[in-house]
Amino acid sequence: MKKVLFTGLVVGLGAIVACQAPASKAEQKAEKPAKKMSKEEKFRAALAKQDKYQKACSNEKQLIPEGISIEQFKKDMLATIKYPEGGVVGDWKKGEKLFGDPKKGGKGLGNCYACHCGDPSIIACGNIGPSLTGYGKSGADPKVTYQRIYNPWSVNPCSAMFRFGVHGILSPEQIAHITAFLHDPNSPINK
Amino acid sequence: MKSKKFLIGLALVGGVAVGFSADVPTPDQVKQLKEMGILPSDVIVDEGNDYFHNLKGPNGKTCASCHGQDGAKLVGAYAKMPRYYKDIDKVADIDIRIKACMTKYMGFPKDKKFKKKFTKKYRVPLAGYVATLSNGMKINVTLDDPQEKEMYEFGKKLWYQRVGGRDLSCAICHEVYAGYRIRLQKLGAPVRDKLYAHWPAYRFSKDKLWTMEDRIRGCYKSYFLYLGKKWDKKKDWVKKPPYYMKELVALELFMKKAANGATVEVPGLLR
Repeated sequence: MKKVLFTGLVVGLGAIVACQAPASKAEQKAEKPAKKMSKEEKFRAALAKQDKYQKACSNEKQLIPEGISIEQFKKDMLATIKYPEGGVVGDWKKGEKLFGDPKKGGKGLGNCYACHCGDPSIIACGNIGPSLTGYGKSGADPKVTYQRIYNPWSVNPCSAMFRFGVHGILSPEQIAHITAFLHDPNSPINK
Repeated sequence: MKSKKFLIGLALVGGVAVGFSADVPTPDQVKQLKEMGILPSDVIVDEGNDYFHNLKGPNGKTCASCHGQDGAKLVGAYAKMPRYYKDIDKVADIDIRIKACMTKYMGFPKDKKFKKKFTKKYRVPLAGYVATLSNGMKINVTLDDPQEKEMYEFGKKLWYQRVGGRDLSCAICHEVYAGYRIRLQKLGAPVRDKLYAHWPAYRFSKDKLWTMEDRIRGCYKSYFLYLGKKWDKKKDWVKKPPYYMKELVALELFMKKAANGATVEVPGLLR
């Protein structure tokens, strides 16, 4: 009976429960519908959702992890990578749209032109990352290219490039399409 | 150099924000535009001037009732902000300070309705006007109060904090890669180049005067902050922190302290 009463209280006072000791499973279930986060709480919770590796990069140098060896960091990041069933090289035409559609001024889900140049016809390209024009001729292994997009920190710890695959900004299939766009000899990147 | 100025002027006269240099105009260029009488931000500052002298709170007071005609007692105040205020017992930026004045001393209600009206209507013009009262003065943020020190350290932590779906921090773009371009937009270095001296600033691309709170909120939007397991643009994107949050004040304090010694020249002018 006491338990029932307490659960009822929890429903009403979900916010207070959050500050208390870990609740049992039944109580957690009751808590969910009662708790609606304010915008402040959401923002703070999202800021607090910093993973171990982001934390290691949050120093004044920004590009060198602290508290973890570079080898271990890379190894851990490599382990996050999932590969698509159809292989790491997809359809370069789909990849072009994801990289940045020339018909939309180079805009696309990957937003790659924000930091990289690529197709020479797209002039509005950033210079934070290296130019990717002619990338396919460099002899890079497509698997490494795929890894560099899925999780750039597996190659360059703390780099400014987002971990597209880890966060789910791009799916494994989409990353394979972009890999194809970078490597295919018919892609404007390599023409 | 001259021809560049002329080009910028021309683009502005034509009302075109595209195609001219992405660099922030120098104070000289702003001065030149001012002489030509084509700074849209002046209209917003004038609106703030009007509120300052004529907007009466429920208890009959205007801003000028306490702060003097033409804000005589507020000259130089913005150069020292954000800072700790005893009467409200917190470290406040210009947005929060004005809001607190209006509710505490002018009698405006502390409810959601007024907060919304203040944010949308009074905040920017009044902040813009009060900031201009410090024009020509040197920024001098001191960390005398322990709460200010704490806030500064918090701001520094946020500045370097890599977080969100894009693994960003303020510093990665605006310190490490400052001077590089995102597409054709050059990344500014607020800390290194003391850019706070030009804020609040008018942005042509948005046709709005922005306080630094607006600017930081815009930056956080691009972090792709999220709460779920994977980033989901539609369901789970924590876009912008709400106004008046401690986090915003902390970053403002960190950047403004870095701008110490720079001369306030507001409103600034941006792409």
